Amino acid sequence: MDQLLTTYLDELLAGLWVTARLTAVAFFGSLVVGTAVAACRVSPIVPLRAVGRLYVDLFVNIPLISLLVVVTFGLPDIGITFDLFSCAAISMILLGGAFTCEAIRTGVNAVSVGQVEAARSIGLDFFGVLRFVLFPQAFRSVIQPIVNVFIGILLSSSLAGVIGVKDLTLQVSEINNEAALGLTTYLLAAVAYVVISLLAGGLGARLEERLRVQR
Amino acid sequence: MSELERFSSRLLTRRGAIVLGLGAFGAGALAGCGGTPTLPAPSGSASASGAAGGSVMDLAAFDAVLAKGAVAADSVVQASEWAKAIKAKGQLVRGGTDTSTLFSLRDPATGKVAGFDAGLSQLLAKYIIGEPRENLSQVTVDTRETLLQNNSVDVIFATYSITPKRAEKVDFGGPYYESKSAILVKADNTSIKSVADLAGKTVATQSASTGVTLLKEVAPEANVQTFDDNPKCLAAVQQGRVEAYVIDQSILLSNAAKNKDVKIVGDTFGNSDKYGIGLHKGSDALAFVNAWLKTAEDDGSWDALWKATVGQVLKTDPPKPPAIGA
Amino acid sequence: MSTVDSLFDAAGPRARRRIRILTVLSLLGIAGLAAVVLLRFGQAGQLAADRWVEFTQGPYLIFLLAGLGNTVTAAAASAVFALPLGLVLALGRLSVRTPLRRLATGWIEFFRSVPLLLVVYIFVSGLPQYGINPDIFWKLVIPITLCSSAVMAEIFRAGIKALPAGQSEAGLSVGLSRGQVMRSVVLPQAVRIVVPSMVAQLVVLLKDTTLGYAVSYPELMKTSNNLTAYTNHLIQTYLIIAAVYVVTNVFISHLARYLERRMSGRAARIGQEALEAGFG
Repeated sequence: MDQLLTTYLDELLAGLWVTARLTAVAFFGSLVVGTAVAACRVSPIVPLRAVGRLYVDLFVNIPLISLLVVVTFGLPDIGITFDLFSCAAISMILLGGAFTCEAIRTGVNAVSVGQVEAARSIGLDFFGVLRFVLFPQAFRSVIQPIVNVFIGILLSSSLAGVIGVKDLTLQVSEINNEAALGLTTYLLAAVAYVVISLLAGGLGARLEERLRVQR
Repeated sequence: MSELERFSSRLLTRRGAIVLGLGAFGAGALAGCGGTPTLPAPSGSASASGAAGGSVMDLAAFDAVLAKGAVAADSVVQASEWAKAIKAKGQLVRGGTDTSTLFSLRDPATGKVAGFDAGLSQLLAKYIIGEPRENLSQVTVDTRETLLQNNSVDVIFATYSITPKRAEKVDFGGPYYESKSAILVKADNTSIKSVADLAGKTVATQSASTGVTLLKEVAPEANVQTFDDNPKCLAAVQQGRVEAYVIDQSILLSNAAKNKDVKIVGDTFGNSDKYGIGLHKGSDALAFVNAWLKTAEDDGSWDALWKATVGQVLKTDPPKPPAIGA
Repeated sequence: MSTVDSLFDAAGPRARRRIRILTVLSLLGIAGLAAVVLLRFGQAGQLAADRWVEFTQGPYLIFLLAGLGNTVTAAAASAVFALPLGLVLALGRLSVRTPLRRLATGWIEFFRSVPLLLVVYIFVSGLPQYGINPDIFWKLVIPITLCSSAVMAEIFRAGIKALPAGQSEAGLSVGLSRGQVMRSVVLPQAVRIVVPSMVAQLVVLLKDTTLGYAVSYPELMKTSNNLTAYTNHLIQTYLIIAAVYVVTNVFISHLARYLERRMSGRAARIGQEALEAGFG
């Protein structure tokens, strides 16, 4: 154990750092893209609606591995070359955006039609409805789904190794190709993933609690 | 397996609607293949692969080598417990891969596996059984020793480099081949001419290959980028993602033969990798396999096989095989 | 009418004109983007016919179809094991016995937050060091089963909790035991509610099998890997394969949505949870 820690701790931490950065970038990117796609899906402009629906159908269903390879080795052919980390992040954002969009749509639709109608009938304008009625409630019901998207992004970051990004999972795999260390490094990595997920879940629950309607 | 399939298809039927598409879809595919996607090989149809420009090997010559391969006298086989068991089974179970260009590559069109490793394995199968009947079982870098130790495979031909650490766990027949590393760059690259020029450059190699450790030794200042297979490493060079790609020369030669936008520079370097035949430790396989290898080298099969496979891209005379037991 | 639609009035003549202009502009934008991508792709030589021709040839198609067959086999096998395991875990998590509840909760939380690839690596190179070395098929199916059992358990639990408490209270008040209430009142209804979500979960299983490349199990992703080793047509192969996955999955998702619509809103809500679990 001591020997393992001293020899490989640096590599494990480097992997954890890559995983953390990748997850953070992809998560915030997904929020932006997901909101934009959700806006497209409800806009009155038909082609944008179609693109929004196509986007979600495509990226909810594509395996991340294929997307990683296509983004990494396909984009250079149309003249755009990003570094590998960015390629991984872009692929994850494309996927995460689709899942975020669906989460937002469900959250908004969870607010009943009657609420919006009531708000409009007492004279609130469009932005007033959004600000005082729709967003506060939608935001609350979106928290848990968004936390799930975060955990999904965290887990999917392990696939970045396919295009040679040295995340935590790839580091563990490479360490074990060099030296047979039993299950120690695997379990350390697993614990790291579990802790991050639990933290995210706990944070989401706290936020939800704070925003709960007092009835 | 079939029990499981029957069970799962029954489950799908219960779910009513699903059987409409998915069930029929899956069943159709399953009916065609069973377990592994090995296609029935239409005899002598090496040409089917030509259309996609796939194999660079001479498959007709490859088949000719197998046709001429020696068969051992029954008394020789019966004298070895290991060989006797394989003859009784009627097939040689080889651990290997099917994605190694020039050494063991499956033609998706015919399902046949050809290459230097595949050829030797099939020659060994013919020597024991009388026909080149091998059954390829997929192995990874991590599983080779274990699969030999628990007798899941009879033999391993998988560009398996002999190392002292591995030799503690398995016996190595041969070596039957040795090879060194080389550098592949873009055709218009002028800045990299030898190993010394790799310092400070981004260099690709395959993960879990000897290239990783070799680069640490000979070019410690190079920035190593690993990908999991040859097509990705090659694409990385072609698209300028990395400046060079270092791995076994034979792999690079076949890349350069198929793609005009890359070239090989400088001399080969590094310790020569000696490929051994992985065998169960302590069995009587070692003596038998080394005796067979000697026969194959003496009767010209080794040379002919090399010409049909590696020789198609190296374009030189066959090298002298390494001394057996070295 | 959805909540979002209720935000807007019907568009008047001015708004309609503006919408029409924007529609044309957005169409032009989308077409232009597509054209640029195709043009650049063509200039790079990636559209050359000889780079695509193998996908029209019988033997290659059969080879890929065989891979798809193995993909379906692995996904189906995982489903067969993960479904009952998920149900047992859900019941464990709802159990009144504390040790049982903790065990089930721990299992679910662990396998929900560990990447499948890490579990696959444990089976590929961790466990063999201890002499545990199953067939490559199982090195793929067991990890998928472990990870998806946790998700399925949560779907089952959501289904059980979606039933009004009155149902089981009524059962208990007529003298049924807890087990009897679960068996004959709660489960038959809960299982019906979760059917669409479970169908949607097939999409996840299908995507999970792409990790077959890591264990060399010849499913669709591994066979396409194999094909690129042969042809070097990396982009073409991965694009075609991605299309196959998307078409198959869209079909399953639509089936799930169809089943969902035939049911109540409860199923829809749980369906959303299943969707979120389908990442990657």
